Formats: sequence, C-alpha cells, structure tokens
Amino acid sequence: MSELNGMSCAEFHDSAAELALGVLTGRERAEALAHLDYCEACREHVRSLTVTSEKMLSLLPTAEPPAGFETRVMDRLGLAASAPQPLRHRGWRPAWGHGFSPRRVLAAAAVAVAVLGAAVGGWGLHASTAPAASSALKAGTLVAASDHDHVGQVFVYNGETRWMYMTVDLESGNDTVICQLVGANGHITTVGSFRLADGYGSWGSPAWTGDGPPVGARLVTANGTVLATATFSAST
Amino acid sequence: MSRSSVSLTVQTMGSHADRLPDETLLAGLGAGDADLAVAFVRRFQRVVYGVALTVTRDPVTAEDVAQQAFEQAWRHAQVYDSRRGTVRAWLTTIAHNLAIDVLRARTSAPVDPAELPALLTAVTETPERVAVARDSAAGLRRALAQLPGAQARAVAMAGIYGMTARQIAVTEDIPLGTAKTRIRDGMLKLRAALLPEDVEDE
Repeated sequence: MSELNGMSCAEFHDSAAELALGVLTGRERAEALAHLDYCEACREHVRSLTVTSEKMLSLLPTAEPPAGFETRVMDRLGLAASAPQPLRHRGWRPAWGHGFSPRRVLAAAAVAVAVLGAAVGGWGLHASTAPAASSALKAGTLVAASDHDHVGQVFVYNGETRWMYMTVDLESGNDTVICQLVGANGHITTVGSFRLADGYGSWGSPAWTGDGPPVGARLVTANGTVLATATFSAST
Repeated sequence: MSRSSVSLTVQTMGSHADRLPDETLLAGLGAGDADLAVAFVRRFQRVVYGVALTVTRDPVTAEDVAQQAFEQAWRHAQVYDSRRGTVRAWLTTIAHNLAIDVLRARTSAPVDPAELPALLTAVTETPERVAVARDSAAGLRRALAQLPGAQARAVAMAGIYGMTARQIAVTEDIPLGTAKTRIRDGMLKLRAALLPEDVEDE
C-alpha cells in the first residue's frame, strides 16, 4: 500500500477535463478525486466540465432501434403487458457497478457529496496542498490468489467522506464477484458486488461501514472462493 | 413520486401515459408499472439506441447495450435525482457508460480514426427544425464545429469513445502531453460556449 501524493490545483486543472470525461485512470484519477475532497474551486471547475461532457452526449444522433425492440426490453424487465407483474427484489445493491460505470458517476458523486457537505456546514476547507487529505487516500494492488499476478487496483479514501474504487482484470469470466474489506481486527465486511465482463470489471462505492480504515481488500466468488487480495500497509 | 401515487396517476390518465412527464414515467418504470414502463421505453428508445450505435458501431451490440441501459434505469430509478440533470441526460449517461464498457472489453481500437470526420459532422450539423434555436445544444454544436480539428478529434475520442489520453496519443502519433492539452483546451472552449446558461465562469 502506498500513500498518494497531494495534487496541486494547477496539476488538477491539467487533468480536470479527463476526469470529467471519465477517461482519467488509476493513480492520477485517485489523486484528482482526493484533491476534490478539499478544494472547492476545483470542485466547481470539474462540475462545469462534467456538465459540458454530458451536454456533448446529447448531441449524438438518435437512431431507430430494430423492430420489436420495445417488446424485448419489456420481456427483459419481466414487465410484458400480458404477463403478471412480478414483485422485484429490492435488496441492497451497490451504488454503482459494472454497467453503471463509476467513471463519470464517481466524479459527479465526489462533487455532489462535497456540495452536500458544504451545504450542511460539515465540509472543511483546507489549503490546496493540505497533506491530510492525501494521507487519507490509500492504494493497494490486487494480487490473484491462483498465481499471484497483479490483476487490479483498489483505492480507499477514509477522510471526511469515505469512498472506494477498484478495477480488476482476471482475463476471463463473466461471473458476479463480491468485494470485501478486511478490518484491522481481521473482521471482513462485504461492501458490494459487480459482474465481470470477460474478466474485466470496475466498481465503486461512496461509503462503507466498519470501524476505522481497512487494512486490506478481497475479491471473492459468490460461493466464497477468494479470487484476489490486496493488502494495505502503512509503508510508502 | 410514491408508488401509490404512480398507480393513481395511471388509473386517472389511462392510455395517456405518453403525455406524462419524463420523471413520472421513470418513477412508473421503477415501480414496475407496465403501462408507464412501455411509455418510458417508447419515449427514449431512439436516444438510447442512437448513443449505443454511435459508440459501438454494431447494431447487434447496440441493441444489447440499449436493453441493458433500460434495465439499469429500471434498477436504479429510485436514485435518479432531478436536481442533477434531466431524465434524458441521466439515461444517456447510463447508455454511454455501458457502450464504453463494451469498447474497453474489445481488443481492437475503440474507434477507427478514419470514422471521426463523419461522426463530427453528425454531431455538429444542426437539424433544420432547430436551426434557429438558441439553446445550449445549438451553442455547443457551433463551438464543437469551430474547434481546431485536432482538438475536436481529441474531445470526440475521449468524450464519445472513452479513450484515454494515452490511447489518443498512440492513435494520433503525438506525445502524451499534447493529447492531454488537446483534450483540456477543447473542453474549456466547449464549456465557454455553455456560459452563462449552464455553468458559471471562474
């Protein structure tokens, strides 16, 4: 586990457009999101760029879907007019997962959380290079249990807000996998699940429950088999 | 809107679901109301499929992406927040993210650079019916059309096809820093085109 260096406002502005467009990757994205945690001016900057990116998508041409599309969608939802309407399971699910990609959503969520925090007076503003924020951001490498290859990354932020984000590439598989955090006392907390697409998946959550910062993370199958682990240590 | 009020609305409006606001149809979709759900799909299917087809450039894949988008809207209807944007924008973002996921799972390049001019023409030409409109979309179209070619390509590759600056640098055979600068400068010009209607200047 390594601590991430703080990003200056100038550095953030160089990457803000990429963050708003959802194409900033890895450590650079994690550092940018951590910067947003304590810089209101940059939050507003990326918010306006996110609005711009969303407006740009509205320019994409429309197209008539193939015949029967509407019926197939309704069948997929189990809401076909002639069929009984089933009660849907509305159990807990992650704030976003594969298919509800965190790229733009994560940036937007960070801004939204920040704005909400400011609105209720709970958001502390710090100098743009405040080290406290960056030290709250930890990164770990996901190591495959089978062959110890590096298969992804996990970022955990444990500042005034909490969020985590992970990416994984196991090269194959389309199963649903479960993300768990490991506490200092060894207690394992299931945070959420997401579905892999040909082994690839990314997932984020704006918060998790548990005491104190986690010391590690695990990716397990639905039957509990550990696929990969990440260890968060205090060393840099 | 609560589920009970959605049901009441349906009983009251009967077959007039197509006239209901977007937010009401979305609430009905989330509540599992077939009448409102089909009206929602009917209203947005061309938008969702258009996004999916533009990004994936494959009709079969696009249909699957579009179906997934409606499924995601159904599953996440309760987290939609009208203060953060319109239903159309929310749904468009879901469809776009799903399409980008498909591109990233492919081993081939996200987009053939030779296809970019046609895409940029498609998104910058103003339909006749809105040619005189002075809304933000029209302004954004004009701004995109006026961007230097290299910046427009970079913005399109990143914003529409989800390409990273590194991928753009490789595709365009330019240094990484140049790719990042083109994305940044292009986006700042587009943002300026939206002022002061949608964003505030710094």
